[in-house]
Amino acid sequence: MAGDLLLFLPEAACLLMALALFGLSLPRVQDQRRVHSWTMGLSLVMVAAGLAGLFQEGSLFFEAYRVDLFSQFFKLLLAVALFLVLSICRQLTGVEERYQPEFFLFLTTCTLGMMLMVSAVELMTLYVALELSSFSLYILVPLRSGDNIDVEAGVKYLFIGITASCVMLFGMSYIFGAVHSTYLAKIAATLPLWIHQPGAVIGLLLTLSGLLFKLAAFPFHFWAPDVYQGAANQVTTYIATASKAAAVALLIRLTALSAGTSLYLLDVLMALCVASMTLGNLAAMVQSDLKRMLAYSSVAHAGYVLMGVLTMTRLGYSSAMFYSLAYMVMNFAAFMVVVKVASGGQDLKISDLAGLHRRAPLLALTLMLALFSLAGIPPTVGFTGKFLVFAAAMQDGHFWLVLVGMINATLSLYYYLMVIKAAYLAEPAGPREALAVSGPTRALNYALIAAMVYLGLFPRQVLELAEQAVRNIF
Amino acid sequence: MNSLHTYLFIALVLFCIGLFGLLKRRSLIGMLISVELMLNGAGLNFMAFNRFLAPDPAVGQVAVLFIMGIAAAEAAIALSLILALFRKIRSVNVEQARQLKG
Repeated sequence: MAGDLLLFLPEAACLLMALALFGLSLPRVQDQRRVHSWTMGLSLVMVAAGLAGLFQEGSLFFEAYRVDLFSQFFKLLLAVALFLVLSICRQLTGVEERYQPEFFLFLTTCTLGMMLMVSAVELMTLYVALELSSFSLYILVPLRSGDNIDVEAGVKYLFIGITASCVMLFGMSYIFGAVHSTYLAKIAATLPLWIHQPGAVIGLLLTLSGLLFKLAAFPFHFWAPDVYQGAANQVTTYIATASKAAAVALLIRLTALSAGTSLYLLDVLMALCVASMTLGNLAAMVQSDLKRMLAYSSVAHAGYVLMGVLTMTRLGYSSAMFYSLAYMVMNFAAFMVVVKVASGGQDLKISDLAGLHRRAPLLALTLMLALFSLAGIPPTVGFTGKFLVFAAAMQDGHFWLVLVGMINATLSLYYYLMVIKAAYLAEPAGPREALAVSGPTRALNYALIAAMVYLGLFPRQVLELAEQAVRNIF
Repeated sequence: MNSLHTYLFIALVLFCIGLFGLLKRRSLIGMLISVELMLNGAGLNFMAFNRFLAPDPAVGQVAVLFIMGIAAAEAAIALSLILALFRKIRSVNVEQARQLKG
């Protein structure tokens, strides 16, 4: 019993944090500072629990829930992402004050859902976990105070999201019909028997579509720009970092089922990968709102991750895992600057960044490094991640795919450099006062810069961990 | 045509009606009803496969119970959001909500 509790430690910590936040949301009058410090403390406990549970192994709940290095890696990633997002919520200007404890509560339940999701090895468990995280996000998006665009974005997100989950559920029902079981292990074992039935392949594809929605990959990407723009900056940061990592984890688990047996699946994934990269990059070029631009760039990055996933080899999967970590760090750094510069919680145009290097040199430096990293310029973590993914695809013989990826990486340089140009070279129209950067923010900036460069130069430790984790899922 | 195929066909028709309604309807309430139709199509599939093929008769039933529970939660969230939108733009028609470009 005690051993089982140890297996469930990160989730238990998350659940306790959610309960505590629920308690904090009850009083009529709240002290914002106190709520935030409690939240930070609890989330630190969660990160510690994630670290403690990193090397646990076992299964729970009638084999429906597997704890292995793969799931624990992602759980730790999610806990860290939640901690980072909470750390930039001290001045929560984008959200009405009385909703702030609820805001933290739903961020926590969303993380809980994703943690359950990366461990789920049974279709119903997976579906319920996915919905737990999605429902929390449906509520978080319209919590922004101010104009109407938040509710509009929320409604849009909700309807596209529930449609994707219906499609996913319909696909699962066909898989259930073909295999007569909802356990992924059983599905993988009997796969050669049914993979040539068209109904089952359709089922698998429909199931994947639910995840592609979470990842904002090509046919399900159109919510991304609106939701990124409409949601409060902190929520956007969360969607762009944590929720992407969880989707990658699930995509790896599901595609690993059919490793190397289905050519249809490979063709479809390749088409989606090319479409995501190209469309994301081309659309990002014409954006003037910084968050919309980052949304389209996230569509393009979904394409790069798919390239690692579709090789369906250990190398491809471990590089996709590394890429999702890299993406989390660099994207968080970029969004952190957005949150800090838009101190009133407003949307940020690219032109609003003018003169940033004088107003806040440290933020400008972080932004520059994050964007270089997103574009894939050495010695940053983004370069290493892209290099690994491309190398894995090359080794699997997808020369054309890598070529398209390279062209796309070059294209993306254009719009990232435009932002850097705005921050470093453009002169602001009127005099702008300097941005105050507090001590903790300063430390966070240094930590992010160090992480981006360190992981870029010395990826070995993380990569070895990822390789070890991937060994468990085949 | 045996009866499994009949059920699968009905489920597919339900799903397609839902999808069509979702694309065609302009009222958010209508869209929500369409989504429920799609969900029930999936639920019917689970029950049909369960009744005619699966060795363990509990799995499909449990799945359908979960689907029903989740559908209820989904309806609650969707209706509350629709209400929030209605308070702001005095309409539940998606044509009226067009501040975002995407």
